[in-house]
Amino acid sequence: VSTADVRLVPARRLISAPVDALFALAPGDRALVAAGDSVVVGAPIAEMIRDPRLDEFDLPTDAEAPLPGSRWTGNNRRGTDGGPTGEYIFDWHGRWRVATGDITDALETPFAGIVREVRPGTGITIRAAGRGIRGIVALGGPTRGRLQLGADGELRSGGLDVGSAGTILVVGSRVDAETLTRARAMGVCGVVVAGLASKERRDFIGSEARQRAALHRLPPFAVLVLDGATRRPLAGAVRAVLAALAGFEVAIVTDPPMLVFDRPNLVIPPPPVDLVRIRAGAMSGREGQFITAIGPRRFPGGAHLEAGIVRLPDGTDAAIPLGDLERFV
Amino acid sequence: VTSEPRAFIALDTGAATVAAAMIGRVGSRWRLIGSITMPAGADVEAIIAVLGARAADADPALAVALDLRHGGAVDLPRLEVASHPPRKLAVVAASQRALEPLVATASRSGWLTAAASTDGTDPLAMSTLLLDSGVHGVLVGAGDPPAADERRALGELAALIAAAAGRRPELVVVLAGGMSDHLPAFGDVGRRPGEVVLGPSARRGIPGGPLADLLLELALPPADAHRSLGWGAMALADVLDRRVDVVEIGHDAGTRAAASPGVGGASATAELAVVPTAALAPADPDDAVVDRVGLWSTWGADRHRLRDRLRELRIAPWADATGDGATLRLAAARAALSRLAECTPDWDDRPPADLTVATGGAWAVAAAPTVALALVDVLRRPGAGQFAIDHARILAPLGSIPDADERRAMVADLVDDLLAPLGTVVTPAGMRTGRNAGSVVVHGVTGEVRLDLTPGGLALVDLPPGSSAVAEFTFRDTVKLGARGRHFAIEVTGGLGGLVVDMRDVPLRLPDRADLRGEMLESWQATLLNGRDA
Repeated sequence: VSTADVRLVPARRLISAPVDALFALAPGDRALVAAGDSVVVGAPIAEMIRDPRLDEFDLPTDAEAPLPGSRWTGNNRRGTDGGPTGEYIFDWHGRWRVATGDITDALETPFAGIVREVRPGTGITIRAAGRGIRGIVALGGPTRGRLQLGADGELRSGGLDVGSAGTILVVGSRVDAETLTRARAMGVCGVVVAGLASKERRDFIGSEARQRAALHRLPPFAVLVLDGATRRPLAGAVRAVLAALAGFEVAIVTDPPMLVFDRPNLVIPPPPVDLVRIRAGAMSGREGQFITAIGPRRFPGGAHLEAGIVRLPDGTDAAIPLGDLERFV
Repeated sequence: VTSEPRAFIALDTGAATVAAAMIGRVGSRWRLIGSITMPAGADVEAIIAVLGARAADADPALAVALDLRHGGAVDLPRLEVASHPPRKLAVVAASQRALEPLVATASRSGWLTAAASTDGTDPLAMSTLLLDSGVHGVLVGAGDPPAADERRALGELAALIAAAAGRRPELVVVLAGGMSDHLPAFGDVGRRPGEVVLGPSARRGIPGGPLADLLLELALPPADAHRSLGWGAMALADVLDRRVDVVEIGHDAGTRAAASPGVGGASATAELAVVPTAALAPADPDDAVVDRVGLWSTWGADRHRLRDRLRELRIAPWADATGDGATLRLAAARAALSRLAECTPDWDDRPPADLTVATGGAWAVAAAPTVALALVDVLRRPGAGQFAIDHARILAPLGSIPDADERRAMVADLVDDLLAPLGTVVTPAGMRTGRNAGSVVVHGVTGEVRLDLTPGGLALVDLPPGSSAVAEFTFRDTVKLGARGRHFAIEVTGGLGGLVVDMRDVPLRLPDRADLRGEMLESWQATLLNGRDA
């Protein structure tokens, strides 16, 4: 195999490190950590206001003018330890607009790490003490759980059982919205899947929004999509890492969309240099050995594309457009 | 390019594809030696090495003349441009009426936009928008002078934005029109890392102009491929002495540059529009985007499947470029081109371009005649025009040469190599349907060709690249073809698609039924690919 030739195949990073995850804050949310703080798994990092509103307040005449973004504390209410809190947004004609609300939810970090930046109203950035597998998109909220390998093909709602509660399930090639909502209701913490169709994605986002609007919310749940919108199996290299992580605690974060794991002793050997995966076309999902680049070839539809020869596990060789291939580095 | 090299590499690094071209000094002028386009994510050094090896294998004597030793291509000097993902601009105004022209201007100026006005969005939601980590700039505008419905809200709006800008000092703030009077609310602007810029007000119905130029300047980094494309188009117009329209459909944005040659000692001019929503496959395709692709698709998929395929195209834009994938790509390119044209409505009032050049990765894998058809399907103007493709994608790298004279000289040397002619398209408008419209006689060097003209279809005359002819049109009724008349004699040049007489409606009307529409699109494509008249 020519090393130069295989470098013509688009590369995709198998493991990302370091991982800087952003936890978005809205005006009124209260950060409980500061830059430089060390956080452990499950530590509360912010109080999120559920239904924020903007109230107007006069400052006492002798009070020092606050800065936008600083915390506001109201007068004590009878029977409570402290008054309502909020965030100064802006001042107009001597009256401050303050973002506040009545109910707060705690936001917990799903992994251990060090807080790098806190920006009220914008977000908290934490560098994870671990590595990550990057996905295409993550839906839902940050979550954590024990990784459990599921079916290789498509997971149906009937295939779920209550024994999966508290886990992050790896469900293979594809999953539908009904299965996702049932998994969430049964206490599953998250799902990792290769492909999620647009319709299922839209249905799940709608369901998640309704669930988040409810008074009694379920624990955070996330879906991490690793590849795209069509059905294809998980890449062998990714599957091998996930198999090594089975049974251990992992996290899903949404920005960037990533599965984060903290297993410093886990040695992940780099995939073979010539291992390529076909990500599109009739042989989508298959993997093989890259033999050589063969220059431009004519393919169905009249397209002339740069191609390479790939030897499949059954010993046959196929000419595949280089754009349909990917390799992991 | 200052150290007298014999060859150099022009590199256009896009979000989806990387195009590398080798340009060498042959005799007394620069020539295109070879080019290659590969998926983004491939190793650039490996791409250049392959390009160099192919050039040396194809003509060893030329390689020696260019001092190109085996494996030495990676050491050649490079002229490099890259496209960058567009950033997000929050566009805010005191009224919905004032917001619309601001959004129209910002969305064609290299920014993704998120809009809010005080009469449609509460201050908390507006603050949330401005504090969002994905927002990189704020455009806040008002009429100059502000209209009555704006005046009352401008002070509070300025206070809200100044508070957000104080919390995010890296945020770029543009105060347009009457908002300039509220600059003092932002304090000492010289000390913040993000600029606070004063700009003119946006003009209703004319989204281009000084504010658009200012926003483009803020949006595009110096060596950006979109920016360079404007300079390249200007040099090309100057060299050819023609009005040139360059259209690029890319992974992150569509770009349109309209350049005119200098007249009477004045220098050439170019106007640039960079429209992120005219990307080949937008990141989160809504129903309008999907439906528009469906309109141009012969594939017949339902909306959900089409959306899945568009998402896949977004995630891996170079993959699946054969069979159905090639069809989908062209449908998506047409849809993107129509979004691009919608964002430059003021350009329709100008005379049509003499030459339209297609560039960008979206066209890289399509057959040349289908590219010409896609362009005339969407950019429809009555008249005659030439079409070409920047097949090696060197126009943007050449446009990045900082010195205008050097840039012009380089384009003059390479003009025959950089454009692959697609042909001439003649589009008469105003013909009556259902009857013979007249005839055309093409007087070429090899003889005459006569064709009857049937309204509603395409007529093709084989005219190879490099050849020219005079097409003499005789219409039964008065038509619009530049001017109004019945007899026209037009000098035409050949190309990979030949001479196309396009007698379809202007603008194009397609059947509502998907199956009829698909048949019609396929028949038009077959006309250009196989030479049958539709």
